[in-house]
Amino acid sequence: MPTVLVCSWGAGTFARGIEETLTFGRKLAAALHGELGLLVLGAVPQGAAELAGRYGAATLDTVSDPKLAAGAPDALVEALAQACRARAPRTLLFPQTFDARLVAPRLAARLDAAIVMNGIDAGVEDGGLRVTASAYGGDTHAVYEMTGEGLTIVAVSTMALRAEPAASPTTPTVGELPVDLSAVAERIRIVEAARTEGPRLEDAGIIVAGGRGLGAREHFALIEQLAEVLGGMAGASRPLVDEGWVDASRQVGLTGRITRPALYVAVGISGASQHMAGCAAAKTIVAINKDGDAAIFRHARYGIVGDCHEIVPELIRAARERRAGGP
Amino acid sequence: MRIVVCVKEVLDPDAVNSFAVAGRLTIGEDGRSITQSAIPRLMNGFDEQALEAALRLRDAGASTTIAVVSIGMDPSNILRHAAALGADETAHVPADPATLDGHVTAAILAAWIRSTGPADLVLCGRQASDDDQGVVPALVGERLGMPVVTIARAVALAGSGGAVRVTRVTPDGDEVVEASLPAVVTVSSEIGTPRYPTAARKLQARRMKPVVTSPEALGLGARELAPKVRLLRQLVPAVHGHCELLAGAPAEAAKALVARLAQDGAI
Repeated sequence: MPTVLVCSWGAGTFARGIEETLTFGRKLAAALHGELGLLVLGAVPQGAAELAGRYGAATLDTVSDPKLAAGAPDALVEALAQACRARAPRTLLFPQTFDARLVAPRLAARLDAAIVMNGIDAGVEDGGLRVTASAYGGDTHAVYEMTGEGLTIVAVSTMALRAEPAASPTTPTVGELPVDLSAVAERIRIVEAARTEGPRLEDAGIIVAGGRGLGAREHFALIEQLAEVLGGMAGASRPLVDEGWVDASRQVGLTGRITRPALYVAVGISGASQHMAGCAAAKTIVAINKDGDAAIFRHARYGIVGDCHEIVPELIRAARERRAGGP
Repeated sequence: MRIVVCVKEVLDPDAVNSFAVAGRLTIGEDGRSITQSAIPRLMNGFDEQALEAALRLRDAGASTTIAVVSIGMDPSNILRHAAALGADETAHVPADPATLDGHVTAAILAAWIRSTGPADLVLCGRQASDDDQGVVPALVGERLGMPVVTIARAVALAGSGGAVRVTRVTPDGDEVVEASLPAVVTVSSEIGTPRYPTAARKLQARRMKPVVTSPEALGLGARELAPKVRLLRQLVPAVHGHCELLAGAPAEAAKALVARLAQDGAI
């Protein structure tokens, strides 16, 4: 029986952050002297057993039911509750996706389980389970202790974590867990489905984001131009969205989009923790800010201290020249 | 219809962040609490937006009573603010935050909602800006057997008032859903800036006293009041910078940056 069970669902794909969550789970299972398992609900993605094995899972449980196809919450919560009762793990882990933010606490209520969201670390201390989670948008880390021995559910904030396959891969035991969802009737009716309009910031390889330092709505065009010439997407910090300068779909941050680009160019952004929660996982961060003491420079690989209205047009020019094969 | 709005008092997250960014955020001797006494306490911003959603339903013509409830040591300031904004009743359940986790908080809120009369709609902020956990609304919904709709940017009544229509901000764009009432809805910042109370309403609000009820009076026993999760310690993470600053005139610095990024293979 797995001690630590990682769960995932999706239309034949794994939840974002599954590999980081499996890494988190393997380390926790080792600390608890137990086994890691993977639980997949709905359509099983190709290569699921291979992925589970690569991260050292001892088991791969699948749960299939037609009611799981739509990814609707009532069916997911009930299926997870039945699967957890059957497998009785000590800890259940979710990659913290948008959906998991609702499903995980609802499941905790059903199973009377301890729950911690935004988990970034977990281990055993004085014989008890400890979970570290980010708080205040990342300004602090809170270490929580579980007071009892019952099930603990942790939603893992995977953006700051690194996926590390197991030193020696395993061959997981694969099995189907039966569930009975006949009593489930979804209580929430979708009137208009979400439509992705164009590419999503979450998937962008390069993001150029503007903040309050732009000073005026019309200057956001500079951000869009630089993004275009770099082949990336334009993003923004929350104040610009609150001001109504840009659409909420552009907002990078704790309560906006959680991104993971290769390159993140922050223009006129101070680097508040709430913002960094949405971009700290970028491989390279570039900061352009007139305040040399701005927090963003602590996160950046490269920085230019100066007026973004002077620097960004030069950057656009330099990037265009490079693209044209110029000097 | 009766709308219950659940609100929490938090440290001003912008002030906390200012201290953090300046490298001056410190944790006290208890190892758990932020020490800066200069940081003001206020209503969690998302909760204020939940109250705004309730007020907009009233503005749209719904015949409502709005009850605002808070749990904590002394939320009288934020409850007075709620009254000034238009709450018809305010309530306080005293409890030491150190003894509260999501389950205990939800047990108290659910018991309070049950004991004070049925709620048609429970509105909460999507999460509190202090612990960022955001689990209480879902736990309340499960306890009360109500559907839970999260991350609303707009809330309206539908189905002749028997249902709620919610526009949700999802990573794939806006989604519009309907749920029968009673329901729990969490509100996100996209709903927009909450209104300010008028001077007259502020004066009136000073006369409204919150109804105080203890968890025990709500019929909660030791088991329901025992937290499963306890804050052991809090720390301020160190950020290790290794930023290379590119100096010179804007054109020079820009060229140097593009060259570095090209060299790293970032562009």
